[in-house]
Amino acid sequence: MRWSLTAIALFVLQLGMAQLGGTPSFSNGWSKSGQVQQPEFFIFPWEPGTRLQEKKTSLSIEIDSMGMQPIKALVNEGGRTTLYVSDISTPVCADGDCRLMDIRLYWTLLGGYAGFDRYRSAPLTKHDHDEFVYADYLKLHQLLLDDNSILKRRKIDELVKKPAQPEEEGVDAIAGATIKEVKESVVSGALYSCYTAWHLVNGGIKDKIKDLTISTLNNELLEQMLMTDNSDYQMFVLKRLSDRQYEQYYVRIAEIFGGGIPLVRTLIVKNLPETIWNSERLQEPFWGHFERIDINTRSLLLGHLSEAPASVVHGLSNKLGQMTKNQLKIYLEYLSESQFLDTSILDNLKNFSSDQREANAYLVSYFLEDLRL
Amino acid sequence: MKVFFQIFVSIICTLRLGWCQELLIEAESFDNPGGWVVDPQFVQQMGSPYLMAHGMGEPVADASTTVRFPEKGTYHIWVRTMNWAPGDWQAPGRFRLKIDDRSFEKQLGQRSGWGWEYVGAKEIQHNTVVLSLVDLTGFNGRCDAIYFSVQKEEPPASPRKVADWRMQLAQEPNAPEELEAYDLVVTGGGIAGCAASIAAAEQGLKVALIHDRPVLGGNASSEIRVHTLGIYGHFERILKKLDTEHYPNGSAEAKLDQKKRDDNVKSYENIDLYLNWRAYDAVAENDSIRYVDARHTRTGKRKRFSAPYFVDSTGDGWIGFWAGADFSYGRESVNTYDEDWEEWGELWSPEEADNAVMGSSVLWGSKETETEQRFPEVPWALPVAKTYEEVNGEWQWEFSRNDLNQIDDAEAIRDHMLRAIYGSFANAKKDPKNATRKLEWVSYLVGKRESRRLVGDHVFTFNDAKKGTKFPDAVVQETREVDVHYQTVLENEQNPDFISEALFYKTPRYYIPYRSLYSKNIKNLFMAGRNFSTSHVGLGGPRVMRTTGQMGAAVGLAAVLCKKYDVNPRDIYTGYLEEYLDLIESQKYLKIPESKK
Ligand SMILES: Cc1cc2nc3c(=O)[nH]c(=O)nc-3n(C[C@H](O)[C@H](O)[C@H](O)COP(=O)(O)OP(=O)(O)OC[C@H]3O[C@@H](n4cnc5c(N)ncnc54)[C@H](O)[C@@H]3O)c2cc1C
Repeated sequence: MRWSLTAIALFVLQLGMAQLGGTPSFSNGWSKSGQVQQPEFFIFPWEPGTRLQEKKTSLSIEIDSMGMQPIKALVNEGGRTTLYVSDISTPVCADGDCRLMDIRLYWTLLGGYAGFDRYRSAPLTKHDHDEFVYADYLKLHQLLLDDNSILKRRKIDELVKKPAQPEEEGVDAIAGATIKEVKESVVSGALYSCYTAWHLVNGGIKDKIKDLTISTLNNELLEQMLMTDNSDYQMFVLKRLSDRQYEQYYVRIAEIFGGGIPLVRTLIVKNLPETIWNSERLQEPFWGHFERIDINTRSLLLGHLSEAPASVVHGLSNKLGQMTKNQLKIYLEYLSESQFLDTSILDNLKNFSSDQREANAYLVSYFLEDLRL
Repeated sequence: MKVFFQIFVSIICTLRLGWCQELLIEAESFDNPGGWVVDPQFVQQMGSPYLMAHGMGEPVADASTTVRFPEKGTYHIWVRTMNWAPGDWQAPGRFRLKIDDRSFEKQLGQRSGWGWEYVGAKEIQHNTVVLSLVDLTGFNGRCDAIYFSVQKEEPPASPRKVADWRMQLAQEPNAPEELEAYDLVVTGGGIAGCAASIAAAEQGLKVALIHDRPVLGGNASSEIRVHTLGIYGHFERILKKLDTEHYPNGSAEAKLDQKKRDDNVKSYENIDLYLNWRAYDAVAENDSIRYVDARHTRTGKRKRFSAPYFVDSTGDGWIGFWAGADFSYGRESVNTYDEDWEEWGELWSPEEADNAVMGSSVLWGSKETETEQRFPEVPWALPVAKTYEEVNGEWQWEFSRNDLNQIDDAEAIRDHMLRAIYGSFANAKKDPKNATRKLEWVSYLVGKRESRRLVGDHVFTFNDAKKGTKFPDAVVQETREVDVHYQTVLENEQNPDFISEALFYKTPRYYIPYRSLYSKNIKNLFMAGRNFSTSHVGLGGPRVMRTTGQMGAAVGLAAVLCKKYDVNPRDIYTGYLEEYLDLIESQKYLKIPESKK
């Protein structure tokens, strides 16, 4: 019953659209002359003066009962693709009541969600036809950023709890209450719009865009991606650089090591080639971030103690308070077998072992005690 | 009074060439633990079960015991304890020692790392005194033992030395003197161990089930409160005796299923249930286990268990570990078993192997009350909780960090979670809307997900799940998605480090072969539960407790045939598979009693 109603509603909608002449044009000023404004909800920084031109691609995205809509590349003035975009018009149906949702979606070069723009002329609306307020758009942005959202694994009808005793079946029956976890992540009163948008953004198109990028991959593009602060890009590039490129870009890689997310840092330590560990100069910038980096990465770095130069081993004796219990054990064990244990390190150890505020001071005391034996 | 652990030793102190009197009181053996709980989870790391004042912020009732001194005199007193959250604040778990009616001034629980704290000297004028532990904070103060000596010489601190010292003091021989013989010895009474015991006992084996808690079920017990997921496979009849309803994790409803489970296991005459017994060693000769040694968690009494076959269902693979079984820990590199899932890349399976595992949880909850409820300031918790606010904790409250081993560092992991919980709750209490909220329950047991995985003839992998490989020896089946967790802090350092996220991979029905349920190199060792033979990603699906229960039931039946033909677990696969599969198939139906035939 509900499906046939939906179909009728869609038909009526499409009829209306045909008369209106399809997707409404933008009022925001993304014209044929290119995009000069940062998308309103966006994950990248936007350099002033940026002008991106739309360029056709072979990709398109399938919209429920509306057919294929094109995915375009956004190309900068140097001719490089920096984003993908699509002006989407899609029906959103809840309990047989269908409306059109117009939204301009942006993807990264790897098919990740990059942002969206709303049409001034066609704001998003909720189930009760109220327009989205700014906070609602922001919440939608947060939702679309979450590529592992609960919306991913559920069909729409699994996301709503049907009222225990439905008051009345039919067009006007209230949509069931959304379950708690879903409620927290979607715009209140707009589950269906959120669901539709999430699946458009994070659906099959992701892989297609990534494949397209991979098919045109060259060193220039790798470098371009490495220079951004996007962790997906960084991971993607770090997995593809040759040993020589690791050396070539070591300054940038060490910078990412300092400021990147833990996942990226971990990958860096795991992937740094022997040539870096063999060179005092090349590895020092990585050790230089020791205090700032997360604990997991710090442990991995300590795994390279035996390749570290004397200056690093000495330096670490001033950073005992930053080490966790097990890291401290690793460091002390290394010292007990290394030739670097000199009076200056010993002094640092003694100072640390007598510092009342240091939770792990006792470990260093044990160590010093054992040394005396 | 437990005389056993009130060891009075008069030994010649060679250094001083005189007689000295010492007395070691194990806190877990106190006559009356009061509001303190016995915590035996970390014996292998810190040396002993201990008493802990788990009062969720309200000081607990005193623990007390009567001590008999053979000699009067002035004694120096030390307490073995630890400040579990050291830093620039007052230690969270402080307590005092009291002898008869007099408390010592010294607040205990202040040193970092397990070791001795000097309490003071006391003249003992009567042969019998009452010793009490007076909790001052309600925040997990801990006391392992109390040592009296007429000499002012501190006992050793390092865990290894303390173990030797204890043995010497107790004059314990290496091996336990009491020996019990069984057909099958099962260690670890989680759902897997219970199912193994029932399946074997129903077919007539005499079974010992050694479990270190007072109640059965492991993570499904009312002490940890995780509900059981997964399907029953061939073992619905057995598993329904053990599983739970689908209440939310952490729910008090776990108590109802607890009674059902305990009653059911106890109803088998040929299962000898050793509750509150913790295995501490497995002795193997020629790659076969001969004994498992266990100790009572309160009295300290020891027993040696012999059997032709053993099941390791400890979750942590302890029996295998002690016996020298091959095991793995951490994540294999993506190419080891070709377990790539491109969408999640490194989070799913890393290019290079590492020691990341799914984390452990401490479940907890609070409730609304009629009146205003105060909660103390917890400065020692805030470095972990930061500004996070919460009033309940579900499965996402999970902690794993690569420098911490889920077994060796389990106490640090549990304590980290306690800080996360108390801190987040204290933050939430600052909001007037939570004025009448009160902590209702915080577990003190670590609910583990992954640690040692013993290696069998087959290592179950993600691909086995993804493809639904139909093994000839498939004995366990599951339809649940493979879900693998990671700490959200890996993606964003602003996130708390104690919250995880799950990645789900939908699979067809998949099967676990019998070959993943016995050790590759220890001839008479079965394993069931999350320590079965699997890769890290492979564990993602079948770690849930109806599936681990299926594994238990499957090995229980395999043990029956092993005994029947006097062969080892591997021989069942090579020589008796058909009979074994038939036996499994027959489990669906209740046997008709002889009298009714
Ligand atoms: C927070 C959380 C949520 C989860 N969610 C679910 C869920 O919703 N549904 C689900 O089915 N599963 C869930 N799991 C997974 C599941 O609980 C575990 O995989 C479980 O450990 C599997 O059961 P088991 O019998 O192998 O081990 P356990 O349940 O860990 O049982 C092993 C028992 O052996 C005892 N033991 C250990 N060493 C010794 C020794 N030396 N001597 C004597 N006894 C010993 C332990 O005390 C323990 O009780 C969850 C886990 C956690 C932590």
